Amino acid sequence: MMSAMAAHGTVFLIDDDEAVREALAWMLRTRRLLSTPYASGDAFWAVAQSWTDGPPTAPCCAVLDLRMPGMSGLALFELLLEQPWFALMPVIFLSGHADVPTAVDTVLRGAFDFCEKPFSDNALVSRIERALARSAEEVAKLQRRLQLQQRLAGLTEREQAVMQLIAAGLPNKLVADQLQISVRTVEVHRARIFDKMGVKSVVELVKLLHQT
Amino acid sequence: MKTALGTGRWWLWSALCVLLLALLGALVFLARAYEDQRLTSQLEHNAVDIVGEIRNGLALNALALQGLHESLPAQTAWRQSATALLLVHREIVRLEWRTADLQIRQAQVSPFLPQLFDFLPRSQAQPDVQQACANARRFHGPAYSTSYFLPLEEGRGQELMEMCLPLLREGREEGFLVATYGLSDMLSELIRPDTRRQRSIALTESDGARLSILGTVPREHGVIHAAHSLELPGSVYMLRVERARQLRGLLPDVLTSGVAVLALALVSMLALFAFDVRKRLHAEARLSEALAFRQAMEDSLLSGLRARDMRGRITYVNPAFCQLVGLPAEQLIGSSNPAPYWPADRVDEYLSRETLRHSGEIPARQGFEAEYLRPDGTRVPVLIVEAPLINEIGKQTGWMSAVVDLSAQRRVEEQSRASQERLQATARLAMAGEMASLISHELNQPLAAIASYASGTLNLLHEPELPLESLREDLETAIRRIADQAARAGRVIKSVSDLVRRRERSRSAVPVQELFDGIAPLVQLQARKSGIKVEWLVAPDCPPVWCDATMVEQVLLNLVRNGLQAMPTGDPPPASGLRTLQLHAAPAAGHEGSERRWVAFTITDHGKGLSDEVAKRLFTPFFTTRTEGMGLGLSLCRTVVEQHGGTLGYEHAEPRGTVFRFTLPAAP
Repeated sequence: MMSAMAAHGTVFLIDDDEAVREALAWMLRTRRLLSTPYASGDAFWAVAQSWTDGPPTAPCCAVLDLRMPGMSGLALFELLLEQPWFALMPVIFLSGHADVPTAVDTVLRGAFDFCEKPFSDNALVSRIERALARSAEEVAKLQRRLQLQQRLAGLTEREQAVMQLIAAGLPNKLVADQLQISVRTVEVHRARIFDKMGVKSVVELVKLLHQT
Repeated sequence: MKTALGTGRWWLWSALCVLLLALLGALVFLARAYEDQRLTSQLEHNAVDIVGEIRNGLALNALALQGLHESLPAQTAWRQSATALLLVHREIVRLEWRTADLQIRQAQVSPFLPQLFDFLPRSQAQPDVQQACANARRFHGPAYSTSYFLPLEEGRGQELMEMCLPLLREGREEGFLVATYGLSDMLSELIRPDTRRQRSIALTESDGARLSILGTVPREHGVIHAAHSLELPGSVYMLRVERARQLRGLLPDVLTSGVAVLALALVSMLALFAFDVRKRLHAEARLSEALAFRQAMEDSLLSGLRARDMRGRITYVNPAFCQLVGLPAEQLIGSSNPAPYWPADRVDEYLSRETLRHSGEIPARQGFEAEYLRPDGTRVPVLIVEAPLINEIGKQTGWMSAVVDLSAQRRVEEQSRASQERLQATARLAMAGEMASLISHELNQPLAAIASYASGTLNLLHEPELPLESLREDLETAIRRIADQAARAGRVIKSVSDLVRRRERSRSAVPVQELFDGIAPLVQLQARKSGIKVEWLVAPDCPPVWCDATMVEQVLLNLVRNGLQAMPTGDPPPASGLRTLQLHAAPAAGHEGSERRWVAFTITDHGKGLSDEVAKRLFTPFFTTRTEGMGLGLSLCRTVVEQHGGTLGYEHAEPRGTVFRFTLPAAP
């Protein structure tokens, strides 16, 4: 059994067939996974297009039926692909036997995975869990980037210039030469940069900058 | 070409005209010359006559003068006789009786010219008299002197001639009688008037000097003359006769006009001939134009043309025909049955067909098909349309055939048939694929739901911490849902079988002939390819059948195709007459006690028949004797027939082959 940490998250179930929606939701519940059902692509898109900062219930993933009346799974996928938060919500396609080539094609274009109907055992559930894990990773990555951006925004212009040179590996003296300031001033800047960025050494600083 | 010929001909024609005119001119000229010559010779005869007359007259005069001295005359009597004689003979102007030594004894002057010798004395003439008398003495007969001019008063004068006649008595010369002739009088007196009419007669010296002339002729158109010498003892004169050349006016000489008429006839004949030649040339030009037109037409034709005489010998072929059979015209013309381009294995068939055709039982213009063999071994399917060749007296001399190469058409038909079949197959496959996809989607939904409930249930059962009550509730829900979804899947299956059943509603009353017509083009195509004759026969009392026409057509097509494929080329051989496939439809007896009527279809081939082993597995799906076959044909046929309520069976045909028989319900 998966840990409670990994299992948390929301599954968007998008399938036109009510029986399939209910059955899936019921089965996911037996695995302690929360799901939100949508009866069509249009219904989901009506909600999703207003998400500017990404899905509010991260981590999450979408289980999308390929064949649907109205907006098909493929058309919805095209729209999602254009969203900036696409990576935060991995998409798993449900396909019939005849649609396997189409499904493979979507995976190549960025879908997380596909699952052929009728699915057996918990193959779909394990895929959903992997997708949620991926989503969580993406959310964490995003949060780190946001944090870094906030810290960088806290630096003054001069501090930023000094940080660039330090990150490039220049000693204080050369930095002072280059910026036409005294070595003493560089040291003051350096201490403040380390403080603002929350690092203790140049190595840590470089690691932080390259992480994102 | 034509103009060059024309100018060349014009040159010839003008040369011919010039030559003809020259010939006419020469003819006219020669005719005139001949006429002249004729007149001249006539004139010469005339001259001879005149000379004869003069000589005769002179001789008679000499006799008369001699008569004067028959007896020794007295002086006065002589004068009287002389005067009388002079009166009769005006040509004598003076008579003298002279002695042997030429002294005048008596003289008498013509009473018509009494003063003749007044101007000049007679003695002037003495030398002439002497000369004449010397000659007379020598000749012992009359002799004449040359003429001399005796001038008269006022410048006139007269040409005179002396004649001396010796007077003999008892062989002794006793004197001379001298007669002086006036030449002009001599001409006028001695020549008969009818001889000298329209003539001018002149006496000339032998050197041409004119002495005397009698008569005149008009000289405007020239004269014709003839001369003859007048030989007198002791003297020679020339007598010249002239006559006027006749005026050639409107009435030319008979000869000339004859020639002219002939020439005219000749010219008109020539003109007629030229006209005829022109007409003939025109006709020839038209004919050669028509010939060239016909030749070009025959050469440009794509269909072959062949003419044969009544014994079947080829008398004519056009280039297209030569190309069709791949043989040169020289090799074809004269060849008779069997023709060199007949395939050896079909000679008998063609010969019997030809006999039948030429017996007149089949309308001549109805086309028929044959196969020709080229020297390179390829076979060409052809369509032949034959018509009798009738000559100008209405007798048939042979047959003219137009032969059309069908290989291109066959190829196209074959291709279109193949592509149509391929298309149908593809369409069927696509439809089947679409159907399968639809059904699988419809079934996938409930199956997916069922699978979800099943795995969810398993998950719950592995959950040890759940209270029993809630577990039970959940499981119940899940299992009810599974049942629902299973029912849903069942409905999907039912709807599919409904779809199949719905086809039954497309059944209708279809006349059997319509079914046959539907498949005839495809069947004929294949039958022709393997040289099989298909006989379609619908019993006259056969009712329409109650069926799905498309499905039944497929069944018929399948069975017919099997039959055709059971008879590959050469088995049975064409000569056996068994290369036929019969397609019969007739009313059949129904089941015992049923009101419903039935129609039985039989498809009979004469192939090698079915072995027991094949027969046993005949209707087994996916069983086939052919490498390219699917083995679905017969089993599908049986399914379709049975869906209609009929039966499909087979039996052995006589003398060989198989009969497939199936029944369909007749329309109510």
